[in-house]
Amino acid sequence: MEEQKLKIMVIDDENIVGKRLKPALEKTGDIVETFEEGEKALARFDKEPFDIVVTDIRMEKINGIEILERILAKSSRTKVIIITGYATVEVAREALSKGAFDFIAKPFKPDDLRAIIARASKELKS
Amino acid sequence: MTPPPELPTLTDDSEDDENLKLKERPSISIRMTIAISYALFFLLCVAITISSFWTISILEDKIKFLEITDNYLVEIQQARRFEKNYLLYGTNLDDALEHLTNAKKILSANSKTIKKIMGEKIFQSNSDYMQKYHDQLLKLGGEKKTGKIDDIVPLLRQYGGEMVSSAEEFVKKERGSVARMLMMAKRVPFYFISGLLVLIMIFVIYLTQNLMVTLKRFMDYTKRIGEGDFSPIVPAKKFKDEFTKLAEAFNTMIRELNHKHSILLESHKLRAIGTLVAGVAHELNNPLNNTLLTAEMLKEDLTVLSDTEKIEMIDDMINETVRSQVIVKGLLDFARESETTIKPLKIEKIVSEAIRLVANQVKMAMVKLKTNFEDNLPGIYGDEQLLKQVFVNLIINALDVLPPGGEVCVDIHKNKNSDFVVVEVEDNGPGIPEHIQSRIFEPFFTTKGQSKGTGLGLSVSKGIIRKLGGYMHLKRSSESGTIFMVSLPAIESPSEMMSKK
Repeated sequence: MEEQKLKIMVIDDENIVGKRLKPALEKTGDIVETFEEGEKALARFDKEPFDIVVTDIRMEKINGIEILERILAKSSRTKVIIITGYATVEVAREALSKGAFDFIAKPFKPDDLRAIIARASKELKS
Repeated sequence: MTPPPELPTLTDDSEDDENLKLKERPSISIRMTIAISYALFFLLCVAITISSFWTISILEDKIKFLEITDNYLVEIQQARRFEKNYLLYGTNLDDALEHLTNAKKILSANSKTIKKIMGEKIFQSNSDYMQKYHDQLLKLGGEKKTGKIDDIVPLLRQYGGEMVSSAEEFVKKERGSVARMLMMAKRVPFYFISGLLVLIMIFVIYLTQNLMVTLKRFMDYTKRIGEGDFSPIVPAKKFKDEFTKLAEAFNTMIRELNHKHSILLESHKLRAIGTLVAGVAHELNNPLNNTLLTAEMLKEDLTVLSDTEKIEMIDDMINETVRSQVIVKGLLDFARESETTIKPLKIEKIVSEAIRLVANQVKMAMVKLKTNFEDNLPGIYGDEQLLKQVFVNLIINALDVLPPGGEVCVDIHKNKNSDFVVVEVEDNGPGIPEHIQSRIFEPFFTTKGQSKGTGLGLSVSKGIIRKLGGYMHLKRSSESGTIFMVSLPAIESPSEMMSKK
């Protein structure tokens, strides 16, 4: 049985995050694109919606909450997973209340994110 | 060259030395000054009274003497009248002789008093004249029958005249002197009272001036201490008095305050460290995450990765570890407990380090931080940690009031009119309400609420800057933003600073 490939977008201004997550997430056969700048990622998203967006919450020019809002406004079915550098209840609550699928705190292992993505993909397919 | 300011530390006992020095001063207390002044007034009164008594007793003598001389004068005048009567009308010459004898008796009976007042010389000449006159009178009596009186009469008249005029003149002089003494006796109390009044006025003015000036100085001391300058008091006077005791008490208080202030400083620093730790923890998570992700992927793909890829990943891990180390070191440098050391510093370096420490807070607050440092800034004297604390505090304060998108600008320039280097921390936040602007430097005054602020930041910062001989104040605060200004005395030339190093 052939699974449908998921399109995943990773946004983090730390370039190592994208560099490592791309091969890690592609292992499940999904399509992964990585971005270091929020604006570029949003521009890409405008052209073609993604199924799952993994975004850092705190970046120089545009913050993760804003990215979350703009993506959901474009495509409400997209699952947005927020990466926080410093997990606080407030940030998590804000992200979830604004429609984030889940959040993950740095530092995390690739498997931690894969597990969340697996849940997201399950929801997408159901 | 600007001398480096002294920062008293916990173990500093220079104040003790100061108090010892105060104790060694010769003592002239205010109480003693007053006592001595009263004693002087009393002695003056005694002297005046004694001199009055003395004047009066002299006057008594003089009046008594005047009576005697009056009698004496009357007697010799009588003698001369009878002498003239005798020559004119041939009356009895014995009457003249009798009065002359009376005069002689008066003179000899009171010779001691008269000599004392007249002086030996005048007394002698008077008696001589009288004796000569007496001799001539006797001669006149003897030559009465012969009628050879032509030789005697001129001599008689001459001696008699001299005798009388000398006595008269003397009596006149004596009366004059009595009158003068009386006049003086009348005036002395008046002079004395006026003099006393002037003296008392001078004393009162001196004492109040003295007290007022010293009180004013102590008022200035309290202001200075309130501003966080804990250097000991050195009274201006050379002598020890009640104020010296007060100064000693002040110095003891200053030492206590300084001690407590150091504790305050430490607790404030801990507070700042607490704030920074949150940011540092946050910042550390990035390199940690990068390292963790890289290590996990390396392990996962160990067999499929090429050597070049493996080396790249290992290099990433090394670099991210070094990055973590730098982050931790910044905080450690700031938190490290160290003795306060005043040394020449480059202000722009200190401010840059402070900015790096708060970089994460700036990021979290989503605020822009701009810097504007003038070129060729002169050096300053200061303690690295304390100064960093001041600027970290100022920037964090600005971040606390800024909404996302706000701006903080740190500007360093040399004041053109004075030898000060000025650091201005400006934000475009909502400003400090006017009614609390005057209170922001008070210790424990906070608008942030107990959970967020201790109310010590600005007061401690101001204390630190004050100790370094600088100034810190609110330059401007309005709805369009706030500027805090820190001025520190510049070391004269940058080259001087370099040569010191």
